[in-house]
Amino acid sequence: MPDFNVRSDSVNVEQIMEQIRARIREKRGADYTEQQIQELAAVKLEKFLDPRGVRSDLLEQFRKAQPPYSPPELPNYAFEDVTVFESHRMPLRLIRKILRPILKLFFNPNPLIQALNIQSRLNTMYAEREARREAARHAFDQLHYEVMHNLVLEATRLGIEVKNLKMRVESLTSRLEFNERRSRALESVVVYKPSPEDRVQPAPARETRVEEPAPVNREAARPATPGGQQPQPEGPGQRSRRRRRRRGRRGGGGAAASLMGGAAGGPATDQAAQGSSAEGAPEPQFTAHVNHETDQSDHDESPDLEQESVGEPDAAGSEPDDHEQ
Amino acid sequence: MKLAFVVQRYGHAINGGAELHARYIAERLARHADVEVLTTCAVDYVSWKNELPEGVDKVNNVPVRRFRVKHERDPIAFGRLSERVFNQAHSIGDELDWLDAEGPTSPGLLDYVGAHASDYDFFIFFSYRYYHAYHGVRAVAPRAILVPTAERDSAVGLSIFKSVFRNVRGLMYNSPEERAMIQAITANQDVPGVVVGVGSEVPANPQPTRFRQKFDIRGPFAVYVGRIDANKGCQELFDFFTAYLEEAAGRLTLVLIGNSLLEIPTHPRIRHLGFLEDVDKFDAMAASELLIMPSYFESLSMVALEAWALGKPVLANAKCDVLKGQCIRSNAGLYYDNQSEFVESLRAIEHNKWVAGSLGKNGRQYFRDYYDWPVIEKKYLDMIDRLSKSSPIRTTEATAGWFERQKVNCPAGADVVAAVPVGPTITQEAYIPRPQTPVSPPVPDRRVTDRSRPFQRDRRHQGRRRTNGRPHSGGHR
Repeated sequence: MPDFNVRSDSVNVEQIMEQIRARIREKRGADYTEQQIQELAAVKLEKFLDPRGVRSDLLEQFRKAQPPYSPPELPNYAFEDVTVFESHRMPLRLIRKILRPILKLFFNPNPLIQALNIQSRLNTMYAEREARREAARHAFDQLHYEVMHNLVLEATRLGIEVKNLKMRVESLTSRLEFNERRSRALESVVVYKPSPEDRVQPAPARETRVEEPAPVNREAARPATPGGQQPQPEGPGQRSRRRRRRRGRRGGGGAAASLMGGAAGGPATDQAAQGSSAEGAPEPQFTAHVNHETDQSDHDESPDLEQESVGEPDAAGSEPDDHEQ
Repeated sequence: MKLAFVVQRYGHAINGGAELHARYIAERLARHADVEVLTTCAVDYVSWKNELPEGVDKVNNVPVRRFRVKHERDPIAFGRLSERVFNQAHSIGDELDWLDAEGPTSPGLLDYVGAHASDYDFFIFFSYRYYHAYHGVRAVAPRAILVPTAERDSAVGLSIFKSVFRNVRGLMYNSPEERAMIQAITANQDVPGVVVGVGSEVPANPQPTRFRQKFDIRGPFAVYVGRIDANKGCQELFDFFTAYLEEAAGRLTLVLIGNSLLEIPTHPRIRHLGFLEDVDKFDAMAASELLIMPSYFESLSMVALEAWALGKPVLANAKCDVLKGQCIRSNAGLYYDNQSEFVESLRAIEHNKWVAGSLGKNGRQYFRDYYDWPVIEKKYLDMIDRLSKSSPIRTTEATAGWFERQKVNCPAGADVVAAVPVGPTITQEAYIPRPQTPVSPPVPDRRVTDRSRPFQRDRRHQGRRRTNGRPHSGGHR
């Protein structure tokens, strides 16, 4: 766990709490307090709908599927056996009552009254059932709406979180790349320290170089220097980089060989050692090959490249070569 | 000078916050004045059952006069009335009925206070919310000093208590937050008041090793001291601490000290030791890494002060303004508002020894500056002296008549409290120089052992404390 960045004489509790909160935010990305989550949950769905991410007509479709209910304005009344004879006028009601037996002489109103009575009760019952159903449906709608609201809310939060994570991944990627570049750069400036044996041997190497046809190549390479000036002395980093590249092409050695110096005995060292021996035939070929590849791969290499290639026995940055330049 | 301490319960075995507070203060002021305690025969604060004999007794050489409680509390009636006055519009009559139902109803105590008012220079009442405080203050208002011990609960919003806070001669607050809340509700800014609090009898040499051996506690641990109750935030504490164990892979164990009214989770890293004697309690606190205070409502946490006196940091619930304010003012504790903050704060104290050590050191200094006994005694004596030289600023407000009591014009207590601004008071209380009397125990020299931190304060302190060429011997005064 990292220490707190408190540098004053006495601790400051509020400062520590700020750092703790910052760490929590860093861990969790977009941080919501309980209160913020409650506020988010209380906000209307419309505010969360992002036309790019969510169906913009989601609410519209929802409302179309669930049209608002308006109860029908149907007349309903209680129909009893005296309903057809009632009147708000007392004398009329009395006359109807008196004449009711006479009416029944012409037709029987009872089945009609019963039917209407049943119908009235059915109407009441259906209205009540419809009201109950509507209430239940309304409750379900509320539930659906709430579920959808929460889903959209969560989707929004997840979207924010994904965005944060993407940004963090990008940040980490860039930092990783930077670190890789940095490690490569650091590897390239590793300073080679020659062993005592290497320091003793430079004389034979110089003799060998004088005998070989390398100067031709050196002359050919020199015009590449702008203005025909003498190339500037190189740092140890450039030399070791070139050396490593050459060894890589020769199929071995690498950084380990350069770190271990000539004693490492890698393939390049062996080849060079063989080239400096009495067998003269392979040596120019090897040199030419090296020059060719060097020209192709690295145009800003200095002319002493070949000299180094030739003088490989004391390999990796021997002092005499440096002084020669 | 003769002082009467009026409190709902009093005795050796009574460890309630306000009652212990009253006993400590009475015993301390008994060194400077003629002190007598007036209280009831009750021991249990729920039933108010008469358990102790009536009459005069002595507790630690302080005379105690006990009076019988007229009737025990009826929990059902009290609950019904509480619901009414806290959550609904109601009348003054309802509030007085609630007060009577809450108890401890002791007319004998009030008769004695009224009859012997002139025998005492001042009556110091503890806990505004009980029967004895309301009626007692009205009986002897010109001589009444009140120690409210008010928390942010609905009771403080009741209308009858406004007159109590406005009619007393002086108020001894426990914290700036308590003062701000009471002043916001009752507008009693003109009543003389001072933030005092209370000290504690912290032993000079607690023995952490003795505690570890006695209870077989190994490894670092956080300690909670108090009643283990959901109202004290313990359920939340269990949830958060379990999350800490799961998320952070922390090494701390939670040690719980106190009687439990709650089911404690079964976990090898959560240990419940039950109620302990003071010696063991202080040993435990000295052995711990920190004290956790999960309570939502406190007027003053004596346990937190004791932890600070022992140089231990405190992790407090930020929902409690008083605790949060104390942590900020003292720079001696962290606070949490949610689970993440709890886990991270606990980890911060656990892993950063330098921070924990600095918090503990600040806590010890804070205790010495504001809550050591010489400071507390001086504040009380100064207030009594100040009131002795002045006259009452107002007369007692008249009691409401019968018709007035029936009017349903009092807002719900919860609504009144909800309207009061929340938040800790950041500004530090005025510092009163310590008297030279050596009262408090010597503070052990605890230096931060973590040398990896480039923090030189210890050395500077040592240099500053050198006197006459001799190094200061770690807290001896």
